[in-house]
Amino acid sequence: MTKLAIAINKDRCVGCQTCSVACKMNNNVPDGMLWNRVLTEGCDVADGAVGTYPNLSRDYLPIACQHCEDAACQKVCPTGATYKDEKGRVEINYDKCIGCRMCMAACPYNARVFNWDEPTRVTAADYGDARVPARRKGVAEKCTLCKERTDNGDMPMCVRVCPAHARTFGDLDDPNSEISQLKRNGSAHVLLEEKGTHPQVFYLH
Amino acid sequence: MNTAKNRKLTYGILGVLTAIGVVCWIYQLVAGLGVTGMNNANSWGTYIIMFMFFVGLSAGGLIVASSAHVFHIEKFKKVSKPAVIVSTVCICMAGMFILIDLGGFTNVWRILVGPNPTSPLLWDMCVITIYLIINILDLFWMHKGDEHKVDVLSRFALPVAILVHSVTAWIFGLQIAKAWYTAIMAPIFVASAMDSGLSLLLLSLLALEKMEKIKIGSSLMGFLAGLLATCIAVDAYFIGCEVLTMAYPGAHEAVALSHMLTGATAPFFWFEVIGGLVVPFCILVFAKNRQRKGLVIVASMLVIAGVLCKRIWLLLTSFITPNIEGAAGITLGNQGVIESAGSMWALSGAYMPTAIEIIIVIGVLSLGVLAFLVLSDIFITPSKND
Repeated sequence: MTKLAIAINKDRCVGCQTCSVACKMNNNVPDGMLWNRVLTEGCDVADGAVGTYPNLSRDYLPIACQHCEDAACQKVCPTGATYKDEKGRVEINYDKCIGCRMCMAACPYNARVFNWDEPTRVTAADYGDARVPARRKGVAEKCTLCKERTDNGDMPMCVRVCPAHARTFGDLDDPNSEISQLKRNGSAHVLLEEKGTHPQVFYLH
Repeated sequence: MNTAKNRKLTYGILGVLTAIGVVCWIYQLVAGLGVTGMNNANSWGTYIIMFMFFVGLSAGGLIVASSAHVFHIEKFKKVSKPAVIVSTVCICMAGMFILIDLGGFTNVWRILVGPNPTSPLLWDMCVITIYLIINILDLFWMHKGDEHKVDVLSRFALPVAILVHSVTAWIFGLQIAKAWYTAIMAPIFVASAMDSGLSLLLLSLLALEKMEKIKIGSSLMGFLAGLLATCIAVDAYFIGCEVLTMAYPGAHEAVALSHMLTGATAPFFWFEVIGGLVVPFCILVFAKNRQRKGLVIVASMLVIAGVLCKRIWLLLTSFITPNIEGAAGITLGNQGVIESAGSMWALSGAYMPTAIEIIIVIGVLSLGVLAFLVLSDIFITPSKND
């Protein structure tokens, strides 16, 4: 079995948003939405700081689909459009999606975005990886763990482009992989562990 | 002559409103759900509120009609036919709202060919279909005077009616992501279905009486109003339990509670508590008031408005604060919403229905009233009840 995963070292993240933009570019994500966001924690403005001068801190939290082992979105999908694939990724079959948005209500991480309108792009044309399927109006979408890339042995675009090497991609079912070793690291933790979704994206700091 | 003229006018107005609603719905199908106020941060809105509301309103009718037969409550029997008509119309409206809310309406058949058994939405669609079939059979057998079949059917109708509200509640109550996640969600749905459903039934019966189609008399009205008072009390008790459980630990749930008590959804919460529970209960708790048509009408209207407010705060409160907070927040996705917000980002969930949504809702409501009038014309013959 394969269980693809991403580890994010928060100590290395500089909040440059390169992963957000590269993800959007690679996956032809329409205007007005992102699959991958870099949040500034504890702030109401991006790149803000927490505390009072001189006791300030700033933490970034890159967040996208957590590819949960027990994915809440997959459970609630009435048509099985959202599924867990053989490589451990949470994927969407857009043809089966009826646009009920049960998955959006179910996801604890706000990872999903919806095509409320006919998708538009500032470039007035599609961009990115030509293998990425088009999404129509009325379907949900989200990070696919760059399915088309990872199916062919490449790493997801967010991992590929990160200038600070904050991200590691790999197979958690291989105990000798770098990512499995990172998972055993004491500081490895997941978001909203109490929800019991068992995310395959985990964080180090 | 004058009433016939009035009726034609009423049918005409309702027909026009329905037609306008249908046109707007077609526009929404073509343009996408972007014409609504929904967005990625607040992904369900008016349609889902109305869906919950009408599933609930449908309850009173079938529960009264079937308990007439299950528990042999003779005085309910004479209103059981209008009761089932109300129930049938409301459940059809609820179904319409779910379909209107879908982004891929033409893909609905996918549920039939590839159902996912862990989805509460799938089970809700199943149970609503069964409920609708029971309603229709009930109505036909009652009309034919087939008492035995109605008796047998009622034994299934009652549990299915309870189940419809519970499964609808589980669409929300099973979601760990939201403040909806509570075991009391199903009982709350059943309780508010009972009180809003009974209120609608009372109003419909009084309207039919006004139209001289049936005679209900003050003793039956008083009895139904008494039952309504009891249901209001049960509803209030469940809400009290839930609010205390949210407040006491002071953890994440308390954030949602603060939105309800003092935040964006507070007007709806407090209207429900005062206007939808306290005031109507204080009116109906006195036997003398239950005999007064005017007061029963006011109390029933308040309960219905209160339950509508409850659907609003229940749904929207959970979308306000995301579990994972941080700037710049969530990307809204809906171009219309982005334009009016001036940014594609939102730190918290907000929702305001658009004119299109309201017109579609008015269209469905008009169609419902129209269907009620037509069905009661067909199935309720004045001479029979005199």
